[in-house]
Amino acid sequence: MITIIGITLKGIFRDRVFQGIIALSVLFLFIPSAASLSMRQVTELSITLSLSLISFILLLLSVFLGATSLWRDMERRYTFSVLSLPIGRSSYLLGRFMGLTLFLILTSTFLGVLACVMIKVSSSIYPSDRPIVWSLLVLTLLFTTLKYILLVGVALLLSTVSTSFFLPIFGTICAFLASGVTQQVYEFVYSPSAEKLVSPLIKMLVTALYYFLPNLSGFDLKVNAIYGIPANFTGLGVTVAYFVAYTAILLGGAAILFNRREMK
Amino acid sequence: MRISAPVCLLLAGLILYVLSISPFVTYMLNKPIEEKLGYVPSLQVVKSLSADLKELAAASLVMKVMMYYGGEISKGMEGKITPEQIDLQGMSRLVHGAVKLDPYNMDAYYFAQGFLTWDAGQFKIANELLEYGMKFRTWDWQLPYFAGFNNAFFLKDFVKAAEFYKLAGELSGAPIYKSLAGRYLQASGQTALALAYLISMEKGETNTTLKKNYQIRIAAFREVRRIEEARDRYLASAGVVPASIEILVMEGFLSPPPSDPYGGQFVLENDGKVVTTSKFAFGAVKKTSRQRAGDIHERN
Amino acid sequence: MNAIEIIGLCKNFTGKRMTKIEALKGLNLEVARGEVFGFLGPNGAGKSTTIKLLMGLLKPTTGLSRIMGVESSQTLSRTNVGFLPENPAFYDYLSAEEYIKFVGSQFGMEANLLATRTEEVLKRMDLWEARKRHMRGYSKGMVQRVGLAQTLVHDPDVYVLDEPMSGLDPIGRALVKDIILDLKKQGKCVFFSTHITDDVEKVCDRVGVINNGQLLVVDSVTNILQRGIEGYSVLTISPEGVQEENYVGKDELQFFIQRSLQNNQSIEKIESRSKDMEAFFLEIVAR
Repeated sequence: MITIIGITLKGIFRDRVFQGIIALSVLFLFIPSAASLSMRQVTELSITLSLSLISFILLLLSVFLGATSLWRDMERRYTFSVLSLPIGRSSYLLGRFMGLTLFLILTSTFLGVLACVMIKVSSSIYPSDRPIVWSLLVLTLLFTTLKYILLVGVALLLSTVSTSFFLPIFGTICAFLASGVTQQVYEFVYSPSAEKLVSPLIKMLVTALYYFLPNLSGFDLKVNAIYGIPANFTGLGVTVAYFVAYTAILLGGAAILFNRREMK
Repeated sequence: MRISAPVCLLLAGLILYVLSISPFVTYMLNKPIEEKLGYVPSLQVVKSLSADLKELAAASLVMKVMMYYGGEISKGMEGKITPEQIDLQGMSRLVHGAVKLDPYNMDAYYFAQGFLTWDAGQFKIANELLEYGMKFRTWDWQLPYFAGFNNAFFLKDFVKAAEFYKLAGELSGAPIYKSLAGRYLQASGQTALALAYLISMEKGETNTTLKKNYQIRIAAFREVRRIEEARDRYLASAGVVPASIEILVMEGFLSPPPSDPYGGQFVLENDGKVVTTSKFAFGAVKKTSRQRAGDIHERN
Repeated sequence: MNAIEIIGLCKNFTGKRMTKIEALKGLNLEVARGEVFGFLGPNGAGKSTTIKLLMGLLKPTTGLSRIMGVESSQTLSRTNVGFLPENPAFYDYLSAEEYIKFVGSQFGMEANLLATRTEEVLKRMDLWEARKRHMRGYSKGMVQRVGLAQTLVHDPDVYVLDEPMSGLDPIGRALVKDIILDLKKQGKCVFFSTHITDDVEKVCDRVGVINNGQLLVVDSVTNILQRGIEGYSVLTISPEGVQEENYVGKDELQFFIQRSLQNNQSIEKIESRSKDMEAFFLEIVAR
């Protein structure tokens, strides 16, 4: 499995993905000047922009790398030569997952350091009235990374059943979009104001989807980082447990499906 | 039968999911307000980032605020929270953000008019927002109607109110708004004015929570009108203004005794004006003056 | 224990509009250790399906297959096999050397041994010069040779090669034949599929012919060639020095030789005239 992780990372680097990220990260240099557009909250805005940019880059990576890695192996018939080696399919899948995970962690660390430098620069130009809580910033980055690791799991699960890359890519994007709103929708249908508008059937459907789809809004700590609002550690602990559980389900399911998959 | 590793992983995940999902949902439901409501970082930035989806971005901001407010109001009705806990500042910030993104978004104005005036007491800000909207929604008679009402009822600027009512009348083509100006624009007509406004708002509201909110307010104003009518009958028979509401009740002018749905106490002021300690909002009895004066308007 | 055992192997695919396609209909086959087995059949006969089932890439509908006694559904069955897929493709962002080392490490080879073996097989397959280049830039023949190299690196006892000669130039084909004969000398089992009869004739001990998912004939190459003998051409020289080529029927050879000797004719050369493997193959498939 470790060699698969190595191969995965090598593949990502040799496809010049990291160079692409470095090119994109040039955008970080503009953050201090863009942040100065805000009259009152330059530091807050620079934190917002950095975190959003990191989040966006990680989203692209998890969707495209996650959805194409297995699909490409099958499409280019690498699976014939690799899966006929004495490697279990589960360990192959897990190796792929771990490789992608490591790359996401690496990217978010790299971009996180860059973002911190930029935030430091803009806060030194326009001092903020609220202190920057660096630990919260790191925590936010950590949970953002967890969120996209989970999304890679979704992408892998979808690519184990699909023969084209449409399902993995669009499915993952849809899952991402849905995961951001399930909480709101769920709260809405159970709010008293929706009582008359929403039929019990829809309510049941929403509840089922709420528990079925990943709920990624809990991983968003941007507000805490931006305004220095202390985080609820028990809540974060529960969120981590949720992450572990959901990812395990995704990977377990993906491994079962991949084991049954026929390499035609 | 031997259970394979992926099945073990799946089962372990399911078990952990079952264990963790309920605390997770509880945690999500009880997230602090400001974390739920989010924020608008900088409008220029949001504007450029939302690309050709500005209307969508604006609509989602308004939706967010409305759902948040709806939830908080229903909690307020159950007496679970006080208005201090409603993040009116945050709401105002988001609504202002929304109209900058999409100046034509009717929901934003309509909704802001509701909470900025009665709940937040920020009449000037409400009127500025309405006047901004009038520049875009030039066909919309409701915006000048709201502005007229705010001027007449809250700010007591009858000249300005008359101007807005006239505009509302011209836009709607219904003469009622012009006559409104004439009929109610004196201090004595305030209660009737408020009632007319609230009833028209209540009729137009589709959100059940907000509709209920209007109905409560209407009930409160009906009580005020009942007190005022009793006061006038007392004045006619006794020749003097009654000293207190209790006198009206004791002497049989007011039966049953009035009750404020907001939980406040009606008081008869020296000049005969009926006011309530709740100021027509839940829990406002406890509201501090600091928050009243606080600037809720976040300009970017 | 046989190197390869295939017992009642069936494979159905679902085709267009949910039609059932029987790719393999109850295949039974055993290949002994140290045997070179040629799996002959036209395109679409079920050769690749059989091999994919054997390597666990497909799941059988019914039946089973074993390699060195371990069922193909288990990862363990692949620990002593070198497999070359048909028209192979390898991670094209790796170099040949990296890929061979990756394969070796999957078989748990120790690093020093792996390094020497990698050098050996790359040199043997004439890839030593190109070993550092990414496979993205390789020609089809080079990729095919990488494929062969990766079956050899860990020195397994069983080799499963799907169309090992395809995509190779004559020099490459000769090299592959050489390698197979070499493996035979070392007592390894080689199971390879092909549709070129000439390959089979030169290197195989036994051959199986498959068509439409059914194994039609399994026999040794010697038997087939023997059975195919139709007669002999005998070159004789008379005492006067006149050369004569005679065609002699299968059963008449003894008689012809005796008569020639009686006539003082010397027999210069006897050649068997037989149907070759190709004729045999065409005959079987046409049946």
